[in-house]
Amino acid sequence: MQLLLDNSWILLSGLRQTFQLAVVTLACVTVVSVLIGMLSVARYRWARIVAICYVEFFRDIPLLVNMLFVYFGAPLLGLPLSPYGAALISLTLWGGANGAEIVRGGINAVPRHQTVSAVALGLKPWEIFRYIVLPQALLPILPPFTGLFANLVQATTLASLVGVTEFFRIGGIIVERTTLQEGHSPAFLVYGFVLVVYFVICSLLTALSRRLERNLQRRGGRVAQVATPRESV
Amino acid sequence: MSEAPVIRVRGLVKTFQGVRALDGVDFEVAHGEVVVVIGQSGSGKSTLIRCLNGLVEPDAGEVLVGGEAVDTHSQADWRRLRQRIGMVFQDYALFPHLTVTRNITLAPVRTGRATQAEAEELARQLLERVRLPEKAAAYPAELSGGQQQRVAIARALAMRPDAMLFDEPTSALDPETIQEVLDLMRELARDGMTMVIVSHEMGFAREVADRVVFIDRGRVVETGTPDAIFRNAREARTRDFLAKIL
Repeated sequence: MQLLLDNSWILLSGLRQTFQLAVVTLACVTVVSVLIGMLSVARYRWARIVAICYVEFFRDIPLLVNMLFVYFGAPLLGLPLSPYGAALISLTLWGGANGAEIVRGGINAVPRHQTVSAVALGLKPWEIFRYIVLPQALLPILPPFTGLFANLVQATTLASLVGVTEFFRIGGIIVERTTLQEGHSPAFLVYGFVLVVYFVICSLLTALSRRLERNLQRRGGRVAQVATPRESV
Repeated sequence: MSEAPVIRVRGLVKTFQGVRALDGVDFEVAHGEVVVVIGQSGSGKSTLIRCLNGLVEPDAGEVLVGGEAVDTHSQADWRRLRQRIGMVFQDYALFPHLTVTRNITLAPVRTGRATQAEAEELARQLLERVRLPEKAAAYPAELSGGQQQRVAIARALAMRPDAMLFDEPTSALDPETIQEVLDLMRELARDGMTMVIVSHEMGFAREVADRVVFIDRGRVVETGTPDAIFRNAREARTRDFLAKIL
């Protein structure tokens, strides 16, 4: 336990990096999800095909492969990326694919007669989306999106493999350093602590997601019906 | 020269998956006229009324609004014209996340037909007219079916339309609330509103319609005054239909 206390500052900095990566990723994921989600319900066939290809591609390749591909592939295109940048992009691509499915489910949960009556009032398509569909889609989207955030927090651990010094990586550094300096491995203690921290964060987010879902159902709303986000590592 | 019909369609054809919902329909509504469209379920009544404001795009035929030909494939053209033709649906289709007032003011403000203040004043007047002034701040879920339908009528009226389309406006209502909606529609008819009503309420049709149109298998079989249709229908198909429901 003394080991954890001695390293509390570095552990906290790792946790901060994890949260920062997860929150920035969530912001990017939200933008990508809304854009791809809108394409997936667009009137134009080509737009729906683009959305389907994006979603299926990034949901069907392992996130780790995706991350390594972005990290090592970007320099070949003349875009050298920092470990953080590569992690952010690959997590966004993966999260965006899962988020787009949630957005699509949320939009589909809005009854069709809502759009039809807005059309009959002479509103433009973007006005119908902004004032009628989006506000009604947000509630069913919120619970699964909170769940996606929990998945993103878990997925940030993969960023350690391209060199981001986030919480899990810091744990690894403490284990390696202590093993070298003191001749015995504190792996069980350190990784056990890391496990508990991730468990607490993600179970709180999952509980929040369930609570939002229950509240919504009590109010007669419908939760976006989507497949569970795939985390293929 | 006589005034152009508010809405006129010629040779309207619409096919859904090989089934002809409309098969060369000619139809027109004069200014201030109340036309009730009757017919069996699946006869093409709702398809016809939805073709009149572009919610259904006809495969062929011509639509004229106020004498102006509509490009039936142009959504921009339809959007402009929809502001002149109000529509009330069977399932009310109020926006559940908006208050009654916001339901009424959204379209006039967004389409530039009124400022927010003007639209709110208009909403207040319309809620008086539909006898729901106390529900201005309520959400649709707090209203009965009949009240929701009256708000839906107020919402359509807020666009100050030249004509109103009603697609089976009482079909989804409880029997006790049907009358309040019919009373409101009677008032609108008395005030000279041009109306096209798809309805199964034959008593109402007989009372308020200037003209009744009977549709069967996507074709206008017979059209005439309520007396002519309900008492002296010329066509056997009309008589058969009326015999079943009266």
